[in-house]
Amino acid sequence: MSGFGAFFVKELREIARTWRIWVIPGMMLFFAVTSPIVALLTPTMLASLAGSQPGIEITIPDPTGADAYGQFIKNLSQLVTLALIIAGAGLVSAERSAGTAILVLTKPISRSAFVLAKLLAELLLLLVFAAIATMVCLAVTRLLFPPLAAAPLLGAVAVWLVSAALLVSVMTFCSVAFPSRGAAAGAGLGYLFATLLASIWPPAVRYSFVGLSDGIAKVLGSKPAELGWPLATAAIAAVAITAAAAWVFERQEL
Amino acid sequence: MSTPTPAVSVRALTKRFGNATALDRVEFDVPAGSVFGFLGPNGAGKTTLLRILTGLARPTSGTASVFGVDLGERGTEIRRRIGFLPDVPGFYPWMTAAEFVSFAGRLVGVDVATLPGRVEALLDLAGLNGVSTRIGGYSRGMKQRLGVAQALVGAPDLLLLDEPTSALDPIGRREVLEMIASLRGRTTVFFSTHILADVERVCDTVAILDRGRLAAFDTVADLKRRAATERISIVVDGDAAELCERLRSRPWVQAIDRDGATLRIVAADLALACREVPEAVASLRLGLRRFEVDEASLEEVFVRVVGEKGR
Repeated sequence: MSGFGAFFVKELREIARTWRIWVIPGMMLFFAVTSPIVALLTPTMLASLAGSQPGIEITIPDPTGADAYGQFIKNLSQLVTLALIIAGAGLVSAERSAGTAILVLTKPISRSAFVLAKLLAELLLLLVFAAIATMVCLAVTRLLFPPLAAAPLLGAVAVWLVSAALLVSVMTFCSVAFPSRGAAAGAGLGYLFATLLASIWPPAVRYSFVGLSDGIAKVLGSKPAELGWPLATAAIAAVAITAAAAWVFERQEL
Repeated sequence: MSTPTPAVSVRALTKRFGNATALDRVEFDVPAGSVFGFLGPNGAGKTTLLRILTGLARPTSGTASVFGVDLGERGTEIRRRIGFLPDVPGFYPWMTAAEFVSFAGRLVGVDVATLPGRVEALLDLAGLNGVSTRIGGYSRGMKQRLGVAQALVGAPDLLLLDEPTSALDPIGRREVLEMIASLRGRTTVFFSTHILADVERVCDTVAILDRGRLAAFDTVADLKRRAATERISIVVDGDAAELCERLRSRPWVQAIDRDGATLRIVAADLALACREVPEAVASLRLGLRRFEVDEASLEEVFVRVVGEKGR
């Protein structure tokens, strides 16, 4: 893992000093603040909408803190997940097309270390800002709604983080395997679609990482969730996919 | 006495891309401490060979080693001893020059105490000390000079430079060539270029690659000597006609022509001609105003070796 430390530090500095700091972290913080506000205002907005349409009457229950948590998790699972695909598509392919990978990889750093440093920096970014955003979401929810237990949100975010970590490893592989950012993003969307499709098959939900989405919903709703298989298979798949990305990159010519 | 290990050694090195052969059984050794010029027309395979030496590509067959270490076996380890400048270096646009050289130094394992001083010295060399703007705003020449600085940060034993002077102005070019020449004996410099004057100025040994094959490999002086046509020009005081007739009968004279007091002789044996021409001039009591053995330029050598087809 020669050169790993220097390259990992460079990755963190790159995140802090380029557009990367605004995409994933920016989105997470934005949704952390706006999700409780949207949850609070949604009934009012819908009532106003219904009022402008004669004959339509909508009965909406009063918003709760659980709605705010749900809104935040929905944003993470949909919009932040899409942002992870787009940002992750350029992890390695952008360095290759800009020629920066050549100057780095002709130094004594192995290609495995290069891939791993990129993946770990992305995961660290995700972990730190997911934690900050969750705290912000809890605080704003506390301001706008009656007190509510934090555990369901913390648990759901933790499960989402596992699925996001798996997605980052998939995107790292796609970014290595495909020469262009667009092709890598397309492959990432294909992975997302395939997992959505697989989620209609109960054994896949029960025994594989496909069940993580279902698990997030159950944990958030404080329902019993069997997450052993989904978590274990997600961890194994993430490690295997990362190893495959390193293996493929070692064999590529630059 | 054992032969010193060459800095670079390639044996039957072949690289194919589908049906196209970029390198065809190339073999040569680069002596340690020398300044080696790697010449060839566009598409000759120079960059492919440099990519193999830096581990960016693998040969189809054959071997390449640096200081006796096979690149296929311990490539990452040997890269600690190599500095590399690609023809178009790609930098992180958000970094400053000092940050990039420092980053490169940490990658090659320069110790923390030494690094700041070395970064400053190299930025001085590159004319970039005090430039605090980000690399994204640099000109191509500035990037090229920064590329040289980052290649030197690990005090490499082997410096691989791909067209290092192509984007530089005349002053920058002279500085880089002087820097390359100053490394002679301490660092092996292997550089590819199209600028023959640069090679003539600083290189000890030259290889010419033509369509993937090694067309010539020798010292600059020997290459020029071999390509020379063994022509002599002389200018005499007095009537050169009799001298012309006397020399015409010598067995080593292949051709001779006269233009007033000037004679141009093509000699089969240059050493003999260098002895007998002054003797003939003296025996006719003529004055010798000029005696010149014509030398081929590296450009003539290059054109002769590569031929018009390769240009």
